[in-house]
Amino acid sequence: MLFQPNMKMADVIHTNYHLLQIISRFGINLGFGDKNIKQVCQDHGIDVDFFLEIVNSYHHINYFPRKHLQGFSLELIVDYLRKSHEYYLKLKIPEIAQLLIDLTRIPDPAAGTSFQLINRFFNEYRTELEVHIQREEDKVYPYVFMVEKAYLDKAAHKDIIDRIRQYSIDDYEKEHDNVEDKLLDLKNILIKYLPVPVDPRLSQSVLFELFRLEADLRDHARIEEKILVPKVRFMEKWLFENYSA
Amino acid sequence: MESIHVIIADRSQLVRLGLTGILYRTGLSLTIREVSEPDKFIHSLQKEHNGLLITSRSFVSACSTEAVKYVQNNRHRFYNVIIEDIECGPYNDIPCNERIYLNDSERTIYRKLQKYMQQLSDHGDQDRAGEEISQREKDVLKLVALGMTNKEIAEKLFISSHTVISHRKNITAKLGIKTIAGLTVYALINKLISAEDIK
Repeated sequence: MLFQPNMKMADVIHTNYHLLQIISRFGINLGFGDKNIKQVCQDHGIDVDFFLEIVNSYHHINYFPRKHLQGFSLELIVDYLRKSHEYYLKLKIPEIAQLLIDLTRIPDPAAGTSFQLINRFFNEYRTELEVHIQREEDKVYPYVFMVEKAYLDKAAHKDIIDRIRQYSIDDYEKEHDNVEDKLLDLKNILIKYLPVPVDPRLSQSVLFELFRLEADLRDHARIEEKILVPKVRFMEKWLFENYSA
Repeated sequence: MESIHVIIADRSQLVRLGLTGILYRTGLSLTIREVSEPDKFIHSLQKEHNGLLITSRSFVSACSTEAVKYVQNNRHRFYNVIIEDIECGPYNDIPCNERIYLNDSERTIYRKLQKYMQQLSDHGDQDRAGEEISQREKDVLKLVALGMTNKEIAEKLFISSHTVISHRKNITAKLGIKTIAGLTVYALINKLISAEDIK
């Protein structure tokens, strides 16, 4: 069932506890009592429709937002995406990095080297992810805002049309490069090829976190694909049809 | 892992949605194409090379004979599943690999579709996973880990670039490691190369 404004916020978490982190990304903390989604959103100054689009997209893999043509501004979407980037880079990735460092602190020097290799590998992954995210923030988001402004002002300069021609949101989606490969490799190396760890529980925690991160990044990409990209594509098309002559 | 291509052809939105839901819940990586119009059936079949084809008796009867023939002639490409209203066969008129009934439980449907998944992994790359890599593959892996290009490896081992690529595909399928950095870590852990080699 889709989440609705009159559902209790507590039930959102009972339905899918992974949504807890999404809710916290909106700045909503626990302790909202029996308030429903709409009330909690109002308390925090959050656009309830937008909130619902996000949680529904996360929870229902097949959910396809229908409101993207009217609804909220890109500012709102990008702001959300930025917040989740921050969550990965400032919170999740450092947490995993710390677990991996703990993993290397084992007495056996021979096995120690293998764990150090894993650390280095993870750092490479981390750099790739940072570059990927930076590119979105520096290149894609400004482009998206430019398109939106032209669309809202109903005025597109020739430069903008050229820009769309050169690099449209579909190009961006295509080159959405594969940072996932390294994450997959890392999981396989940990599962299959590392020497038996001294502290098996620690290895399990690392793996668990990696699986979570992977799933979370996949959901994040889905939000981009389902909410951001179609909206921009629609505006690009409109601008093109009306100003490209 | 490559995703499994699925075509769901039926006029009923309920049926298509229901099946899509059940399929997604398997957690497998899927590319699902839905077809609601019998007219467009043959066109979507031509777009896929192979995969799982789920369609219903009523849909098939609404299709042109040309489309039905096309399915028959391409039986090696598609694993054909027919949806029947109720279980009261025998239905020999439409040949297929499997039948599911509208009153089947999710579990039953899943079990029936699993036969197909099993077949896939029997034929596909996946059965390579866990297999030991051969000596020749180890040679290639070493050089990959040292940062050499396919062309350089080919020259060094006196084989064609094409053979190098095929070795690399097998290595990735067997180990489950795709990136060069990942392969290097594997090579180091398994002492195929030493840390000094890559400095």
